[in-house]
Amino acid sequence: MTDHLDKLPFEDYCRTMFNKDTLFEKPECLKGYRGLSCTQYILGPSAAAYLAELGAEVIKIEVPRLGEPMRHCTPYNEPWFYPVSRWNPGRGTSPAFQGANHNEYHVTLDYRKPEAKEIFYSLVQKSDFMIWNYRPGTFDRWKIGYGACKEVNPRIVLAWCGGFGGFGPGRNCASYDILGQAKGGVFSFTGHRAGVSAGFPSKHTTWIMDYSIGMLVAVGVLAGLYWRDTVSNLGNYFECSQVQGATRYTEYGLPLWGRHGIVRMRWGNWDTEICVNGICKCGLSSYPHSDHPSEQEEGYICVSAYTDEDYAKLMNLVGRPDLAKKYPTHDDRVEARAQEEIYPAIEEFLKDKTKEEANRVFSGAGIISQPLLTVREAANCDHWLERGALGWYDDPYYGDVFTQKVIYKMSETPPRLKHVHRPVGCDNEEIYQRVVGLSSDQVRELEAKEVI
Amino acid sequence: MSEDLKKEVQEAPLLWPLTPIPTFEEVYDPKICTEASREISTVFEGWLHPKHEMAKPEALGKIRVLECGHGGLQVNAMFGGAYLSELGANVIMVEPPGGSPIRKLTAFGRKRYMFKDNVNGDLCGGTFLHECRQKQSITLDLTNEEGREILKKLVVHADVLIENYAPGQFDAWGIGYRQLSKINPRLVYVWNGQKGQWGPLADKPGEIYPSSPCSTGWCGSTGLPKSFGGTPLRAGERADDILAGNLTAHGVIAALIYRDKVSGRGQFIEVTSAEAHARIHDYAWGWYGVDGSSKPRYGNWDLAINIYSVNPCKDGYMMVGGGHDRLWYRIWKTVGKDRPELEDMILDEPTLRVVIDRVGHDQQVKTLVCLTDWMKDWTREECRKKLLEEEVAAGGVSFLDEVAEEPHYKYRGMVRAIDTAHYGKVLFCGSVFYSHRTPGRVKDLGRPVGYDNSDVYRKLCNFDTAKMNELYEKGLI
Repeated sequence: MTDHLDKLPFEDYCRTMFNKDTLFEKPECLKGYRGLSCTQYILGPSAAAYLAELGAEVIKIEVPRLGEPMRHCTPYNEPWFYPVSRWNPGRGTSPAFQGANHNEYHVTLDYRKPEAKEIFYSLVQKSDFMIWNYRPGTFDRWKIGYGACKEVNPRIVLAWCGGFGGFGPGRNCASYDILGQAKGGVFSFTGHRAGVSAGFPSKHTTWIMDYSIGMLVAVGVLAGLYWRDTVSNLGNYFECSQVQGATRYTEYGLPLWGRHGIVRMRWGNWDTEICVNGICKCGLSSYPHSDHPSEQEEGYICVSAYTDEDYAKLMNLVGRPDLAKKYPTHDDRVEARAQEEIYPAIEEFLKDKTKEEANRVFSGAGIISQPLLTVREAANCDHWLERGALGWYDDPYYGDVFTQKVIYKMSETPPRLKHVHRPVGCDNEEIYQRVVGLSSDQVRELEAKEVI
Repeated sequence: MSEDLKKEVQEAPLLWPLTPIPTFEEVYDPKICTEASREISTVFEGWLHPKHEMAKPEALGKIRVLECGHGGLQVNAMFGGAYLSELGANVIMVEPPGGSPIRKLTAFGRKRYMFKDNVNGDLCGGTFLHECRQKQSITLDLTNEEGREILKKLVVHADVLIENYAPGQFDAWGIGYRQLSKINPRLVYVWNGQKGQWGPLADKPGEIYPSSPCSTGWCGSTGLPKSFGGTPLRAGERADDILAGNLTAHGVIAALIYRDKVSGRGQFIEVTSAEAHARIHDYAWGWYGVDGSSKPRYGNWDLAINIYSVNPCKDGYMMVGGGHDRLWYRIWKTVGKDRPELEDMILDEPTLRVVIDRVGHDQQVKTLVCLTDWMKDWTREECRKKLLEEEVAAGGVSFLDEVAEEPHYKYRGMVRAIDTAHYGKVLFCGSVFYSHRTPGRVKDLGRPVGYDNSDVYRKLCNFDTAKMNELYEKGLI
């Protein structure tokens, strides 16, 4: 088998190692780890989901009946996955919920009810990690915070994530993804520069500061588990602040301000540090007769030609060899004034082309380019389907669901999608019987009292 | 080093902090916070404040990482290595002789925005300095056969190797996972790239951000609609590469857990910037699956939540969030204190009564026009204070000078300065891994080219002075 792999051409070797059809023939990385996700919205849930994809058994605890608020926020009030729960078949769950709740078991528990405490402690006792993102101090007030949990289970790795953190002058402020973007600084330098049409600070369309800080929370949990299992046998407590994550992403922004007093600002679709490396407008739409307004508009294409050789090639191609002579070195052409001359010259060349035509011309000349795909195009792109990054999933509750599937690829213990998510309280019987040890009539009784 | 140069660097001003860092007494002053709030916060502070970090162990203290992420201008491997080094791993950057090309990156190519080495006068860009935190820097020419033999000697002692060269490049050089795993079966090997090393859109050599967000629909749904003068947008920072860095750290530690607990063997991991971002493109995919919709651009508003948006106010842009009823009514109560007619208008509107009915476009326009009409008379800080009285999450869009001076960030050590041995005092963002027992930490920022050659090659390969000199002469290191 190994010999066979050694002889394969590299691309075929990768296809074999990362084949999406053999994911389930391989073991899971975090098998045997159990985690609790006492979370809502995206930040905390996504952190738990990244661990669940690696094979940890993650139990997501929601408020009885209605479930967490993210189930009820959907674009234009249009797409829904029915039912939200068996108590409420007429309402649905938003697709916004699925990306952050892959592979989890969904149970309900009202922490504030006195009967809930014992059940919760029992779950804590049998878990390896727990993630929560209620406001700092809320769980401690309910006596289920770090102080209480480490008494019950000294080996548990806890991670709190949220806006600003549990201490410091801003500790009482709540946060959302978009506030993280705004207060962390990345909002201020995304978007077109002042004076250009729509030239003001702009939002990243995804809830990136939720999902990406969730990744870091998961990294913290994994580091805690690694340290516990290979070094110390001790639990741990992590705190991850969303606004700090956003500030962490500002690259040269803070050093530049601290030393030189220059504030990093917006530079649109061009790159402040590398030229040519930007997104340029093509003159024609690929779908002028589409019924979707965003597809009727002109195409865009990303062009990279930052080495001297590629740059000269590109300038000759667009019919401006004078610009190749004028800005021979990278330092010359990355200056603001030079960029203001170079990109319009490229867009002039693209005026009578669609993004596909432009891509053909650039590729033919050996210049790196990538047409800007719409969501619909990306969802039908062979590359992502073949690699298993996106795809259809046959869900027992919701039917055919199109979803993001595999977060990254591992050759031995690949992460995988086992289900997108489930209705509220769907796994109450399963988890409360198997993990907590309640009998089925006790579960029914607690359900009737709305404890679960 | 010339005396002039020494003077220039030593006296390089640090424009921070412009206002003093708040003290413990100021933050927990009984006049501004309740006894209960102070009690719980000081407990958290005792567990988590970074001032205690150096007395604590490091989670990945026994892990050694080789970061070969400097063949081109992608920053994904650099970010991945940065998180691992914050958590205590010994990260050794393998740069080409002469230094990583990322060192030379500076805004608009301006040398005056760079950081000068006070020993040899070399210039280094801020991005490199900030992300190569406490990594050891060695040089090695991987394009040369002899250089690759040296890499194999290093790999024997490594737990992790991260690279982001062109697809198949390392394999063709005989240092890919296939070959290295025979030398060191415990090696966790990560490849970072934009779209993948295999598949129809596989990376071309030299491909860099923003090719990844263009290929997943992310850029296409960021920015204002065309009718508002907008275009698709990239993120200011290299967002996808940073996400791939997060996931690299994630995959590496997961693989180490599996290696040390179960299999005893490493594995091959592929993390791409584009797939990292496709994974988090929230409802876009599910929505497409339901009715074929293609997530459109919606500027600074949110398609799924009303109110959850950034709009202009008196001195800039103001974020207000509150989709569900509890916050919705608090927001309008706040507005109503100054402008009761606006509150009445919203509360009287039948289509705005139910949470899920509020997200239609017409409803958003009505809501946000009213909200902005109130905000236009107040500054970001005034708006924030008024909304905070009702416990609504709100905040102004901060520019980086304001971020650097935010009292909360300074108090928590999120934004802080470090006196580096070579580059003088540098302002940076601390580690996000606050922890009771194993906090992440930053002990140093980026180092000069080849700074740790002697240390690493002697320690791991037993190269003596003569051998080192020979390698320098051949231009291999």
